[in-house]
Amino acid sequence: MTGVFVVVEDPPNAAVDTVAGVETVDTGKHALQTRWTRLVRSAQPYLYLTPAVALLIIWTYRPLAQAAELSTYSWNLLPTTPMVPVGSANYRRLLELPDVADSLWRTVVLILGLLPFSLILPVIVAFATRSVSGRARVIYQSLIFAPFLIAPVAGAAVWQWLLDPGAGIVNRILGSDRNWIQDADTAQFVIIVITGWHFLGFAVLVVSAGMAGVDTSYQEAARMDGASNSQIDRWIVLPLLSPTLVFLALMTVLLSAQWTFPLIDTLTQGGPSRSTTNIYYLLWDYGFRTFDAGLSAAAGIVLFVGFGAIAGGLVWLSEKVAFHDD
Amino acid sequence: MTIDFGRLRGHLMLGTAALVCVFPIYWLFATSLRRPGDVYSLAPVPWPLSLANYSDASEKVDLLGLLGNTFAVALASSTAQLLIALLASYAFAMYTFRFQKVLYLAFVGTWLVPFQVTMLPNYVLLYQLGLINTLAGVVMPTLCSALAVLLLRQHMAGFPKELISAARLDGRSSWSILWTVVVPNLRPALAALSILLFINSWNEYFWPAVVLQRSNAVLQLGLRSFMGTEGTDWGPMMAVAGMACLPVFLLYVVLQRHIVDAFVRSGLK
Repeated sequence: MTGVFVVVEDPPNAAVDTVAGVETVDTGKHALQTRWTRLVRSAQPYLYLTPAVALLIIWTYRPLAQAAELSTYSWNLLPTTPMVPVGSANYRRLLELPDVADSLWRTVVLILGLLPFSLILPVIVAFATRSVSGRARVIYQSLIFAPFLIAPVAGAAVWQWLLDPGAGIVNRILGSDRNWIQDADTAQFVIIVITGWHFLGFAVLVVSAGMAGVDTSYQEAARMDGASNSQIDRWIVLPLLSPTLVFLALMTVLLSAQWTFPLIDTLTQGGPSRSTTNIYYLLWDYGFRTFDAGLSAAAGIVLFVGFGAIAGGLVWLSEKVAFHDD
Repeated sequence: MTIDFGRLRGHLMLGTAALVCVFPIYWLFATSLRRPGDVYSLAPVPWPLSLANYSDASEKVDLLGLLGNTFAVALASSTAQLLIALLASYAFAMYTFRFQKVLYLAFVGTWLVPFQVTMLPNYVLLYQLGLINTLAGVVMPTLCSALAVLLLRQHMAGFPKELISAARLDGRSSWSILWTVVVPNLRPALAALSILLFINSWNEYFWPAVVLQRSNAVLQLGLRSFMGTEGTDWGPMMAVAGMACLPVFLLYVVLQRHIVDAFVRSGLK
């Protein structure tokens, strides 16, 4: 690459030099040269961006466009069978299929169930860490953070062991033989708890970092006015944390798909009786199990549009409602 | 007195939270180190220690091979992510150019595209390239990390511009400025980011699950092959799970400060 920048600057000089000789040409040569350097310089950022943007197009935006196209076809993923154009039939099927509505509802429950772990508990824990001094605080934080580093499948494996109906330590302590993971009443709850366990430490660190960034002069001013610690926390620190909290909420909405997928795929495969099939898992199911590529793509496009709306809404919220320090 | 009470309450709460968070991890390693006959024991400390579960596991799956494959995939993927993100963030931070905003939004926008939406076309593409059931097929779709680009751009935006213009006055090309001025000065941030990327790739489950449908060539899938059946062999399963976590934990213990910083910074856009 080094060569590219040197070499492209040289040829015009050489080319002009051969024609040169008269003074007027000399100024022309300068103009040409500066124009050329400017051109090279303005091309540089695009050259640096090329690999990343090419990969984005190949692995994200091309497939997104293709999914939009695929959503108007009926196809079973086999290279040998032709794709049959069906217009908007896939989208109409989406509206009619009870599976879709059910899984959407389960997704809402999943996200709402995760919010205590990604917002409420982290705030409580982060407030609590303030009362603890330096070294102990670091130790607590790094212990709470540790599950975030666990591979999701390993997390699923150990929870399966902990919750085993016969030999698992949870049931033996509780003296029950509940099959938490294979029971339609508790399966979704188990997925939420494991995901929350993974994510809690990260959220705590984010909230703590947000708290460290809050200007302490407000708190001192309030204390001078006779406000109690809990009043300061409730009415000053918490509102100033709102951008951080909106960010965590946004993350929960956008990333719950990625976090829960390995757990669901290894622990329940969407069962029992579909109780852990959220909309993301349903997409996977349509695509790779029932081989209904068109329907899967249609659901994916609807999901993408929905995501965009929710994310846009939350960003708007964080700008309108959130209290800013400045 | 009241302060002491508050501190006590803080310790109590944090202690409980830390215990609940760490216990599953502790139990994972504890179970894996028990003798096969003791796996069902509830004794808090595994004693006498034994590696029998690990040797049992390595009879069923090629543990060393899985470790090597996972390591190769994680290393290839995170190195490529780092290099590609370095170039892209350099463009964003050091230049103003047309379509800058649009291109930047294109990176941010990847957060809105769940992998379930793009998986079918990508699967078809990997199939056409003949990369299904190969490790290269696992690495290829992960080469560009939008997160890495956004984080590095943040770091570079805070880079002192005087250094850059001084180097430019010396007549250095932008390429040599990147490698001789920017990269050496960003070394801590780059180190933290590469650890983060490595851990993320190590723990990646989705692409291996899609691409390696016939073989279980990485740890995450090898572990999956132990799960889901009735009468699970808990000891060896915990041994494989332990192997899947161990390298990351070793990194964490050695580089704890850096890792926490890296993850927190990633959380603060």
